[in-house]
Amino acid sequence: MSFFGLQENNLEEERQRIRSGASRETEDVAVYTWGEESYDGLGDALQEGGDDFNDETFGSSGSVGKDFDFAGQASLLEPELAHHKSANPVLSSPGQPRADATPRPVEQRPDNRRAPQSLESIWDDRSPFSVLPRENGGNRLQASTSQFSPFPESPVLHQPNAGQGGARTLQEIEAEMRAAAQQSRGVSQRQQNALRLQQEEEQFLQEQAYQQRQQRLAFQREREIERELQLQALQRLQQQQAMQAQHQRTPPPRMLPVSQSPRFVDQRQMLLLQQQEEHQLRMQQELQEQLRMEELERQLQLERQLRAQQISHINQGPLNHRRQTSGPTIAELQFQALQRQQLHRRQRSQSPAYQDFNVAPQNIQLQQRLLEELAQVDYLREFQGATQAEQEALRAEAMRKIVEAEKMEDKRRKKAAKIAHMSRYNDLMTQSDKDFITRIQVSQLVTPDPYADDFYAQVYGAILRSRMGLQSQDERVLKFGTGGGISLGNTQKAATRRPNAMQRMEQQVERIVSNARRREEEKGLHSLHSLQGALGKTSGRSYKAAPRQLLQVDDNPSTSPTLAHANAHISKEDATSQPNEGAAKEAAKLSRETLGNTGNVVRKDPLTHRQVLTALEAMYDLVLKVEHLRREQPPPEEEEASQQWQKEYDDLVELLWEGLKVMVPLETSNPHPFVSLLSPSKGKKLLPRLTRHIGSSRMLTLMTLLVACFTQLDVVKQAPLLDSLDESDERTEADRQTQAFLGSVLQSILPIVANLELHVVTALLGLLIDRSQDIAAVAKTKPGLALLTLFLSRVEVIKQGWGQGVEPVDLMAAGASLEQWQAVFDQFFVLLTPHLLALFPSSRIVLQDPHAPSAALAIDIMDQPVWQFLAALALQAVPEQHQVLVTSLRDKVLENVLSANKGWVADEDERRTKLANVNLFLHALGLDSSQIAL
Amino acid sequence: METIQEPFDLIRLSLSERVFVKLRGDRELTGILHAYDGHMNLIMSDVVETIMLVEGVDAVPPGPGATVKVATRKMDMLFVRGDGVILVSPPSRT
Repeated sequence: MSFFGLQENNLEEERQRIRSGASRETEDVAVYTWGEESYDGLGDALQEGGDDFNDETFGSSGSVGKDFDFAGQASLLEPELAHHKSANPVLSSPGQPRADATPRPVEQRPDNRRAPQSLESIWDDRSPFSVLPRENGGNRLQASTSQFSPFPESPVLHQPNAGQGGARTLQEIEAEMRAAAQQSRGVSQRQQNALRLQQEEEQFLQEQAYQQRQQRLAFQREREIERELQLQALQRLQQQQAMQAQHQRTPPPRMLPVSQSPRFVDQRQMLLLQQQEEHQLRMQQELQEQLRMEELERQLQLERQLRAQQISHINQGPLNHRRQTSGPTIAELQFQALQRQQLHRRQRSQSPAYQDFNVAPQNIQLQQRLLEELAQVDYLREFQGATQAEQEALRAEAMRKIVEAEKMEDKRRKKAAKIAHMSRYNDLMTQSDKDFITRIQVSQLVTPDPYADDFYAQVYGAILRSRMGLQSQDERVLKFGTGGGISLGNTQKAATRRPNAMQRMEQQVERIVSNARRREEEKGLHSLHSLQGALGKTSGRSYKAAPRQLLQVDDNPSTSPTLAHANAHISKEDATSQPNEGAAKEAAKLSRETLGNTGNVVRKDPLTHRQVLTALEAMYDLVLKVEHLRREQPPPEEEEASQQWQKEYDDLVELLWEGLKVMVPLETSNPHPFVSLLSPSKGKKLLPRLTRHIGSSRMLTLMTLLVACFTQLDVVKQAPLLDSLDESDERTEADRQTQAFLGSVLQSILPIVANLELHVVTALLGLLIDRSQDIAAVAKTKPGLALLTLFLSRVEVIKQGWGQGVEPVDLMAAGASLEQWQAVFDQFFVLLTPHLLALFPSSRIVLQDPHAPSAALAIDIMDQPVWQFLAALALQAVPEQHQVLVTSLRDKVLENVLSANKGWVADEDERRTKLANVNLFLHALGLDSSQIAL
Repeated sequence: METIQEPFDLIRLSLSERVFVKLRGDRELTGILHAYDGHMNLIMSDVVETIMLVEGVDAVPPGPGATVKVATRKMDMLFVRGDGVILVSPPSRT
């Protein structure tokens, strides 16, 4: 409590006191009206307890005059002070000069007299919480004086503790003054201070101080504005950090608006951090500024508390209307304005223009800094007496630096903008979304049989490895469920990184595989159902789509097959009726065949092209299955598994063998079903893949069938097409088929032929001659020629083996075989002799005169197999037959040698080819082209 | 035939066979089919492409005024994107 009765700082205490019981005291006591005209003076006679020694304590008071109160304001204090006497005896002590010594101002009296009632009501305060009587003098003074003051109110002194410097901290004053500086335009306001303090000299001094301070403040303000920007950046950073923390707590990021996604914030924060680093020096200032801001805030809070109290007081009193004029304090206004500004900035920072807004000042600062550096350097140089050129160079360098920095800044900004643009979509997907997509992708890659699905790559890899001499012990086929995962690379790395993820992935993959398998099975079971609705649902049954069947005709084909067939408009019926028809036909044919034929062979129509294709597809399926099974052959240690596997494998091979239809009787159809299967190129290409699975004895059977049906082969039938160089689809096709036959079928029987006994070769040649009406025609075809050459060369190899004694020879059997062979060969030679020249494609092909030079070479190349065949023939021939050969081929040989020697050839290649061809044959006879004299 | 369960099984029969393919944009192909997939993407070899070009189609309505030109070209190997395929058939056999 202030000793001099200036209670303004003890409002709280007083209120407490009143609450705790003093209020009752106040209520019981009558309201005294000292100092007013209506005062009856009874108060003077009041006897109070405990006052006996007042005089001793405080000294005798005597009567207090009012003659010192020049302005007459003290009279206003009087009622309050008098009132205090009852509530607060200390305050009403005679030692209090202002209260006791206040003379009643004359000019106030008429006022009071005029409205005694109103005054009465003013001070008639019955509320225990009303502290109106204890309102501090300063404020009341201000309130009342403001009515007649010639000066505008000073914002500073609006504060309740104005003029009591001791009670305020220096910072408070500073903040106050800053607030005042904001309103410095109203200069006259300052003079109000003096009125308040009621001391002219002091006022003057203070005014001077104020002016000085204001100048300083104005300067500070300018700097403040500059710093505010940085302060705001800092605040924004804090704000964003808070925001980020919040976001981290809110689980699904995609639920957030895009611009608020955490990474976006991260990115912006990064930008801010960069800026901060660049202005670390300024950061300290910022911090100071912040401290000041906080102080200001604290002070304002204090102020507000006080004001709130005041307002609560005023609201209950009639002075209310007066007080309202003061409004919020200037400091508060300033603070509010500041806050608004910040808010505005913050809002702007959320906008897209935010980037530029932030970067631009930074850029300027950067430039400024560089220029400062430059200036410093210049200054130093001048001191050292540097030349003008050096300065220029420095300046140029500085400029370059600036430009560079600008460029870098520009680049950085662009990059940041790009990242910001792209990061709009960051974290749109949750982890489960990503997992889901990964699962879909993996399920596309997963297959129950990776080898088959990746067949070509695997085979190619195997070929590459074998070419590089690597062993295929490192199994490259991906296997699941062994901890390997799906990657070919080092799985350990991945496992250490995300072991659980890999395990989960594996489980998923296994599940997917099993699901795929099950679906496959279901597909097989409900193949028809699976197709239902594949093209969309039909919109109910309509008469147009399916008209009601009006005629009920018995569709038994035996009664009237044509009608039944015509009536069969439903495809299902169609499908069932056809086999019936076929069966009938079959039966009819059967009877015919049995009548005409001697054997019990069922003659059938040759397979249709479509049947062949279907059968081939089935065969390929089987082949793939068998190949797959072969790869999964269990090791021989596992006996049971091996047996199981062997059984499975044998069953499949049996199916393959049946599918080839080799065992179908020869006379069943023309062409034989097996030959039909060989007609498409894929049929031809199937054979090499089968040979490893089919045993050699079966292959021999197959080859016998092939020889027996050789003339039925498409490649033999189509061979004449090749005797032309004109490009046509048919010829191209025939050529393709022939190449496929030579490359696939003959290659696959080659190992069989290479192991044949002489008598078997004899038998096969005999069979070929017997089965083909015209052996010469067969010999004119490429496949036929190749087959015959095969046989002849095999016989030569056998003979050589016998001659060298490599193989143990049973002379008797060998002699018999040789005799047999010679007989067959003689027959063959006789049959062939008239056609020897015609064997050459060059003889068959008639070249139009203007032909491409390459055509002749092509024909010579086509001749080559024929010369080879003739050489093989010559080796088997006896001397008389040699004579026949030479006589027949004399012209051909001479023609070739002549054209080669005389230069009637297009180029060196052709010449060499011709000579090589001739020599092939001549060498077999023991001659050479060079021996031929022209 | 029991092995045919879906339309693609019919195309499968034509694998490594010569096929006739009709494409959007008045184009036709003949060639040997090597591979296909569910989108009807095709891989073909020895392809002859036939393109029908109708001239003056803007000025004159189709009829005697417009002339149709046929351009052909050959390709050794071709990948046909499935979205242009209208029809795949084996070539007509006599």
